[in-house]
Amino acid sequence: MSKLTVAVIFGSRSTEHDISIVTAISSVIKPLILSAKYNVVPVYIDKQGRWYTHPKLADIALYSSGQVEAFITKLRPLALRMGGQLELISGSGPKPKKIIKVDVAFPATHGTHGEDGELMGLLEMANVPYVGCPLPAAAIAMDKALAKTLAIAEGILTSKYVWFYARDFRSDQAAILERIKDLNYPLFVKPVHLGSSIAISKVSTPKELVQAIEVAAHYDDKVLVEEAVNNLVEVTVPIIGNETPRAALVEQPLLNSSNFFDFETKYMSGGKKGKTSASGAQGYSKLPADLPPKILQLAEATAIKVYKTLGCAGIARVDLLIDTKTKMVYFNEVNPLPGSLYAHNWRQAGVSNVQLVEELVDLALLRAKANEQLTTAFSSNYLKQY
Amino acid sequence: MNKAIRQLTSLYSFRLPATLTYMLQASEYRADEYLHWLARTRDFSSVQYRRHLERTFKARLIELFLLIGMACEILVGIALIVYGLITPGAGWSIEIGAALVIAYPLVWSYLVVLPLEFGRLVIVEPNQTRTVAASEPIFAKHQGVTIAVAGSYGKTSMKELLLSVLGVSKNVAATRANHNVALEHAKFAKSLSGKEDILIIEYGEGEPGDVARFARNTHPDMAVITGLAPAHLNKYKSLDLAGDDIMSLATYLKDKKVYINAESEAIKPYIKNEHQAYSRSGVGDWRVSDVKLSLKNTSFTLSSSKHKLKLESKLLGRHQIGPLALAAVLGLKFGLSKQEVEQAIAKTKPYEHRMQPYELKGAWIIDDTYNGNVDGIKAGTELLHELPAKRKIYVTPGLVDQGKETKAVHLRVGQLIATAQPDVVVLMQNSVTGFIQEGLKDGDFKGELKLVSDPLGFYRNLESFVAAGDLVLMQNDWTDNYA
Repeated sequence: MSKLTVAVIFGSRSTEHDISIVTAISSVIKPLILSAKYNVVPVYIDKQGRWYTHPKLADIALYSSGQVEAFITKLRPLALRMGGQLELISGSGPKPKKIIKVDVAFPATHGTHGEDGELMGLLEMANVPYVGCPLPAAAIAMDKALAKTLAIAEGILTSKYVWFYARDFRSDQAAILERIKDLNYPLFVKPVHLGSSIAISKVSTPKELVQAIEVAAHYDDKVLVEEAVNNLVEVTVPIIGNETPRAALVEQPLLNSSNFFDFETKYMSGGKKGKTSASGAQGYSKLPADLPPKILQLAEATAIKVYKTLGCAGIARVDLLIDTKTKMVYFNEVNPLPGSLYAHNWRQAGVSNVQLVEELVDLALLRAKANEQLTTAFSSNYLKQY
Repeated sequence: MNKAIRQLTSLYSFRLPATLTYMLQASEYRADEYLHWLARTRDFSSVQYRRHLERTFKARLIELFLLIGMACEILVGIALIVYGLITPGAGWSIEIGAALVIAYPLVWSYLVVLPLEFGRLVIVEPNQTRTVAASEPIFAKHQGVTIAVAGSYGKTSMKELLLSVLGVSKNVAATRANHNVALEHAKFAKSLSGKEDILIIEYGEGEPGDVARFARNTHPDMAVITGLAPAHLNKYKSLDLAGDDIMSLATYLKDKKVYINAESEAIKPYIKNEHQAYSRSGVGDWRVSDVKLSLKNTSFTLSSSKHKLKLESKLLGRHQIGPLALAAVLGLKFGLSKQEVEQAIAKTKPYEHRMQPYELKGAWIIDDTYNGNVDGIKAGTELLHELPAKRKIYVTPGLVDQGKETKAVHLRVGQLIATAQPDVVVLMQNSVTGFIQEGLKDGDFKGELKLVSDPLGFYRNLESFVAAGDLVLMQNDWTDNYA
């Protein structure tokens, strides 16, 4: 039996371009290759949005050495052909073109132009099975304000918030501040579409608030301001599955001195590769979270409800805020493609890296098969009228 | 096509002299093993896979010999071609010259054996014979008790175990690691002070007659025979001949003070009434009870009509109970107190790559990659079956040196693996994989089977394959000369 060709797509025009490279190479490509079940094709999208493929693009040294820019100048950007399936047409220099038929796409992009649903839309159009959340779920998850609105509609608790367009803030700052006035400090200010905690600020005064909104508006056209939860324990719940999702362990990230899990804490100072003395699978979290079993159960149930409400599939991670005094669990946000797939958590939960990627590919194929059962044609006499 | 080109270019690579030297070194400069390896090698570029050439003086000399030899042949070949081109009617010269240039890798890969064999016959072997002969009087005159440890497997572990226990209150000397042939015995003799209470000597049988020769030279007073299983069958040809050789030690001792592992199926027919059998049930009048196994230790009670010992060791598995019990009983016989024996046994721990447990990202790995016999496979699979785990994974490439028994042994290996009911079996793909698969099928194995073509890649990336709660047993590992 011939092996399935899995195209791992990463990079892209996003502030999380570099994080995507690490996710793709260490947590997706490596275990996919080790499983020996697939032909693995690395597909790198550069910061200008050009697509490339070459075996060397699966080597992290190419990126860490800064040689990737020079390397891709030797390659022809990929052309995509979508004749009922996805084909990558590649080549370099005078060499003849090579056509790679993709059986499954494995998006490993973070942030804009990838994780936000754009890539999923392209893959839907190409009619190729793909790993992870479908377009609507990805798009909603990447819009923190929309995700909260939907969660509230389904009876899921979230902290009080206000969202607005950056242009409206620039044109009528007072009106926006008037809407925020009802929220109690401290507040969090977030760009609505960005992940990896980029440009998020915690503010305690109106002056700090304005500055924080300006920072967030610099990165995004939509800004969210929300109340901080008291007696806070922030947890995150990785989930996989389609119709019957299951959670890994409820994980408690360590917070920085400002009491939130920012980019620096997450990726630079003792985060994914860091050396803090903290316990936890990667040294920056408690795994499982140090909470009573009942709260852990409630957190897991809330996370699964959010996952289903947003229509997530394949994989996602739901972040929750817990008030340890009132024992209330608030939905915070959904990450439709968790960094490094949260493989450290899954491993601790009994799923190896290789098993994880194999299961995700299987889930993608299952979802595609289920979608095939849907009728996409409708016969009518409508055109005969013309 | 690409493969054929790669194989051909590897033969003409500049690295060929180093590769051939490595093959000799990895074969311990034994011509027959080297020639077998050479005959089955197609791609010389992948020979140095697990290890690389260690440039010792001997290795440098051989590499230089190959380089000069090959260079000379190429130069003569070119000279003949040139001569043929400029001399009318000397077409034969071109043909011979071309043949020399084309054939140089083959010619020198075989020619290299000649000086080695010459050196072995004329210099090394006479020297070794003299050294070994000189050690015989040292052993004969030594006042201490000499314990010989022989068997197809488990010798080094048994020797180390006895050393750990008896060494608590006695002056004990033992041969180093698995240095277990006559020349190593002779070196050991030189290192003795003569004041030792006990000598422990490991006998590493390699070909028929070895064990009898070792016994005649080292004059043992007692023997421990650890088991019989197919090993070195390329030399012994049959298990019976291997058994006869190992049991020549008992014959030397006139069957007195001979302790034999009764758990070894193949050795059972050799056990006589005069011998002392040891097993997981006990040794002589000593009985084993209250056995408890875990990933961290093995504990049991050893009792006779008069005494009772509570023993706990970090050695893993039921198959360790027999050797532990024997070490304890011998300790008491040599005058150790009960407390000293218990404390000594408590300090025993797994030797490197022999049922050695370690934790990896929440999973437990039992490294038994030094194991190379079917009895060891049986012990390992029993342990895997018995220990609790969320998911059980069994990893092996199979066994080497099984001679004509290869198929039968690996069918048995497959069946034994199936009895452990692992969730996943990982087989390193090689010439015996098919037989193990057949054995798995016979044993009605229902788990997932994974065939791995890159063993090193698998071992290096083991953490990607495991998760918390997994128990992985890795048995045996093939070196480059077997792969």
